[in-house]
Amino acid sequence: MSTRNRSGLGLAVVCMVASTCAVDNPNGIRTFAANDVQLAVANAAKMACTCKFVMEMDDDFCKAWVKASPDVARYSYDPVAKTVEASAFVSWAAHARMVDEKRGCVLE
Amino acid sequence: MTSRTLLTVTMVLVSISAVAAPCPTRPSWPTESWPKGGTNNKATELKALEDYAFTTFGEDRQRYGVRTDGLMIIKGGNIIYERYARGWSANNRHISWSVAKSISSALVGVAANRGLLNLEDSICTSLTQYAGKPICATKVKHFLTFGSGVQWQEGYEDGSYQSSSVISMLLGEGHRDQIGFVLDQHQAFAPGSQFIYSTGDAAVLAAIAKAALKPAYGNDAFWLQLFDKIGMSRTVFEEDPTGNPLGGSYVYATLRDYAKFGYLFLNDGCWSGERLLPEGWVQASTTISDTFKSNRGYCSDAEPPAGTIVVPCARTPSGYMWWVNQSPAAEITKPYKDLPDDAYVAIGHWGQYIAVFPSLDVVVARTGDERNFCPDNAVDGKVDGVNCDFSMNKLMSLALKVAK
Repeated sequence: MSTRNRSGLGLAVVCMVASTCAVDNPNGIRTFAANDVQLAVANAAKMACTCKFVMEMDDDFCKAWVKASPDVARYSYDPVAKTVEASAFVSWAAHARMVDEKRGCVLE
Repeated sequence: MTSRTLLTVTMVLVSISAVAAPCPTRPSWPTESWPKGGTNNKATELKALEDYAFTTFGEDRQRYGVRTDGLMIIKGGNIIYERYARGWSANNRHISWSVAKSISSALVGVAANRGLLNLEDSICTSLTQYAGKPICATKVKHFLTFGSGVQWQEGYEDGSYQSSSVISMLLGEGHRDQIGFVLDQHQAFAPGSQFIYSTGDAAVLAAIAKAALKPAYGNDAFWLQLFDKIGMSRTVFEEDPTGNPLGGSYVYATLRDYAKFGYLFLNDGCWSGERLLPEGWVQASTTISDTFKSNRGYCSDAEPPAGTIVVPCARTPSGYMWWVNQSPAAEITKPYKDLPDDAYVAIGHWGQYIAVFPSLDVVVARTGDERNFCPDNAVDGKVDGVNCDFSMNKLMSLALKVAK
């Protein structure tokens, strides 16, 4: 995800304490439960798994490809098990794994 | 055989031949590999194409320039141009993003061709686990044309993540059962009455195709009944933890294989003499849908009335999840002004395209990473003379100058 129109870490911290349930406002716009940090961590796990094990690109490429805003997620691969663990601020974590050559990666 | 019997047999044969359009014939089919052709002294046109399409600058993490990962032109069944950049090769599978929607649509066609579903069916005919729910009044054809009526906020990087239905489905509260998430959303409009661009609709469509095909062809039905037949065997079609295929965004294939999918449509849904899509399917897929004609969103400059669910104005007409180069409404020009009227395109986020030009016998496949557009110091879409303002119309028109 790009950095365009995103305000980075400051926004992330605000979002960490944002709502935890989906709501509708009077204009019919819904707000969903997961906050930006949770979503960024899930995105990092899924995208890193896909980049490395499905698209089979190298680590430097994947580092740039996975980068999103808020850029708070850190991740690591297990190349043997073909899994990715991502986390941010201790409290948030996500796990993705390569299923097989037809079904690619799944965010668990 | 009596003369009466002979007459009857003749009438039946005439009747069949009048209904069944033959599949196009080709000297060869690129199931295993694409034959190579030449561009016949198009050095100037090639330079113009490459000067536009491959112009990254700055650090990779900045994502500046026109960031083509792969570009391929097929004419007359031959590769006449193919180039990769930024570490990509012919062997790498590239993310499809919403090109997956056109593939999911085709998989519904594959199931229909086998007589395993009908577009007039309730979605619950295939997705039996939802039987009895109000959504069952919605037909396959409604999802096929972005007309489910399910409230959906299709937002990406530029907006609030938390108000994006698609991000919540793929990464948030919906990610474990994405079809359940979509079908739990509020059905705000009557089926077929409102065009809403929705990754959720496409995901449901892929699930319908899988549910229809699986009893006869098993868990690998997508490969057995489509991908393997056209040589896209290395295609990855991701699923959620529940086993729902993620047909709105998460398909991965090589550039050559994406071009094969376009070539299937260029050849009326036939491959090597076998009809994989029903007769008329490609035509219907690339004709403006009834849903789109019914209501394409809020296109007025005026403020919408308070309390309305505002559906963004759709400017590019759609058939069965393919985008067509036709005017969306009276007095409005077609979306891709420099491309032929009969062009149709599968389009994905960050600049993924499979463009089909039937009148030119051309398919153009392009993968890319257009995420950041131009930096602040850009002037007229350029920095130091280098392009950074990506335009699909311009890229394809330059590609067609090479192909003509």
